[in-house]
Amino acid sequence: MKVLVSVKRVVDYNVRIQVKSDGSGVVTDGVKFSMNPFDEIAMEEAVRLREKGKVTEIVAVTIGGAKNEETLRSALAFGADRAIHIKEEGEVQPLTAAKAFAAVLKKEGAQLFLCGKQAIDDDANQTGQMVASLLDIAQATFASKVEVDGSKAQITREIDAGLETLEVDLPAVVSVDLRLNEPRYLKLPDIMKAKKKPIETIGLGDVGVAVEAGTKTVKVAPPPARAKGVMVKTVDELVSALKAKGLV
Amino acid sequence: MTATQNLMGFGLKILNRLGGSPMLDDPKLRKAATAVIRGATSTGFRLIGTVSRQFKSAPRPSKALRPGAAGGDLFDLTPTDEQQMIRDTVAGFAAEQLRPAAQAADTACGTPKELLAAAAELGIGSMQVPEQLGGAAGSERSVVTNALIAESLAHGDLGMAVACLAPVGVAVALAEWGTAQQQATYLPAFTDEKAPVSAIAVLEPRPLFDPFKLSTAAKRTDAGGYVLSGEKSLVPMAASAELFLVAASTPHGPALFIVESSAKGIHITAEPAMGLRAASTARVRFDNVQLSAQALLGAGEGDFSYENFIARSRLAWCALSVGTAQAALDYLIPYCNERVAFGEPISHRQAVAFNISNIAIEAEGMRLLTWRAAALAAAGKPFVQQAALARRLCADKGAVIGADAVQLLGGHGFVKEHPVERWYRDLRAVGIMEGGLLL
Repeated sequence: MKVLVSVKRVVDYNVRIQVKSDGSGVVTDGVKFSMNPFDEIAMEEAVRLREKGKVTEIVAVTIGGAKNEETLRSALAFGADRAIHIKEEGEVQPLTAAKAFAAVLKKEGAQLFLCGKQAIDDDANQTGQMVASLLDIAQATFASKVEVDGSKAQITREIDAGLETLEVDLPAVVSVDLRLNEPRYLKLPDIMKAKKKPIETIGLGDVGVAVEAGTKTVKVAPPPARAKGVMVKTVDELVSALKAKGLV
Repeated sequence: MTATQNLMGFGLKILNRLGGSPMLDDPKLRKAATAVIRGATSTGFRLIGTVSRQFKSAPRPSKALRPGAAGGDLFDLTPTDEQQMIRDTVAGFAAEQLRPAAQAADTACGTPKELLAAAAELGIGSMQVPEQLGGAAGSERSVVTNALIAESLAHGDLGMAVACLAPVGVAVALAEWGTAQQQATYLPAFTDEKAPVSAIAVLEPRPLFDPFKLSTAAKRTDAGGYVLSGEKSLVPMAASAELFLVAASTPHGPALFIVESSAKGIHITAEPAMGLRAASTARVRFDNVQLSAQALLGAGEGDFSYENFIARSRLAWCALSVGTAQAALDYLIPYCNERVAFGEPISHRQAVAFNISNIAIEAEGMRLLTWRAAALAAAGKPFVQQAALARRLCADKGAVIGADAVQLLGGHGFVKEHPVERWYRDLRAVGIMEGGLLL
């Protein structure tokens, strides 16, 4: 069985994000980038499925500018057999990405599309769902457990009331949540081997997709600075302070 | 005629008269006077130029012409993509696994076995072993990559980094100088996740120790083997080591000997020190240890250079000190920004801010010298002098950075609640250690 895993290059989660002074976006110059942590979990799950003998080939896919090749190299070091880079230097919104991934998924004939539930940069949480809708195939989001059995997969997801288990027919889209697994450290020899694995670079035109901008970013602003707190000694004091602010 | 030109004319007149004076027939005097005249006239003409130059415009280009980015041949020490990925991976391991366990390892004078195994799983050992022997080493020497690995590990904890890297050093030495037989015998084991615990023993417990004048000696036996006698100090991981690489003097100069710990006559005593405690340092005494003829690393052939060996070993300590100095800096910046005294963060005080700036400057200087020497070593160019510079700077500034970090944290610097007291102790090792590790 073939698995397609989408990976996104995002500002590293350890970086303290700074908003550009003109409000057009966040500062990316000299900032560390890495693979979206949820996508790492998706990669790890693909590798684990292969170790269990459920998966025979792992293909990593990404969409974006030339620098995204670094992220694909990480995916290859993680254990992907090969990678596809859909090169697009401009802004890529979820629908464009989803259309491109859907086309690649169809072309590759992969039975499973694994992706992070969302990317930590825009937190859109849309791409996986859109891929499933575009191809009219099953989807299971926020997976905390994935079991593949022949032509079906059982997905456990964390919901407000507890755990929900879904059975989906393959091919299916599965977006993964934080507690699915803990990604392993890359092995240094695998990093060296990743250099020799193939990356196929294609354009959006090659998959018959045009860039679409359904939304427009009007302004990016940092969250307001937290005002200094007030220390209260008693509950009464707290209540009266809240009343004074008109909060209760 | 302007006033300036008038003045110039008057000056030239005097100078010409002086130039033609018979008084200047003395060659010495004439030389001096000509110099004065030349200086005076050229200044004068320059002055006239400033007044009278007219700038002529060349044909205007369609847009402003700017210099492009220069090729990264000189002074560009940016790691390659692979090196950066290796760095990130090792740094992640160091931050998530080593740092939280460091305090306990320091107290216990030992790194937990599980952590050593986890570090071995990263495959640092495999990176030193040629592909033909089951490893993942490329065809090129990886001194710089190894320096990056050491630096990243030491950012987590220096003592534990030594524990993790001790076997790697032995693998590096075997790959660099071992005979085909020695490589085939020992190197494949280092690709394993259960790589043999091993260490390089150079330092000796005596005053004015000089790694080039060793007391430990290997004498030839009639049977063609060697007898090894002497004592080594601060050998990392010695008690659990399966393999030692021991520096000893021979009639042909200092050399390295491969000694399996099962050999008779090896006595190991724990030697806990001020720093490097997580590396379980110990004293190792060799009492007439019988070695075969195969024990001499490189078998006296090839291009073994003891001088290069010592220099590359020192570079390993430099790389570690860079990592720990950076850790101190990364710890100090948020601390001093958050620690409030007299109603404002202490970083608002120049005594604090300047000190932190100096640490940043010195740590970067240490890093660049280390990388420079490592790059030269990797390229097979002379690097011993660069390594000496790196060692001097790292030993001096590393110790100062450790002490300053303790000072900047005030009372918190002294107590074990914060890691800087440990870094202070560990950074002192850099100027003392010889051997132990190898890049």
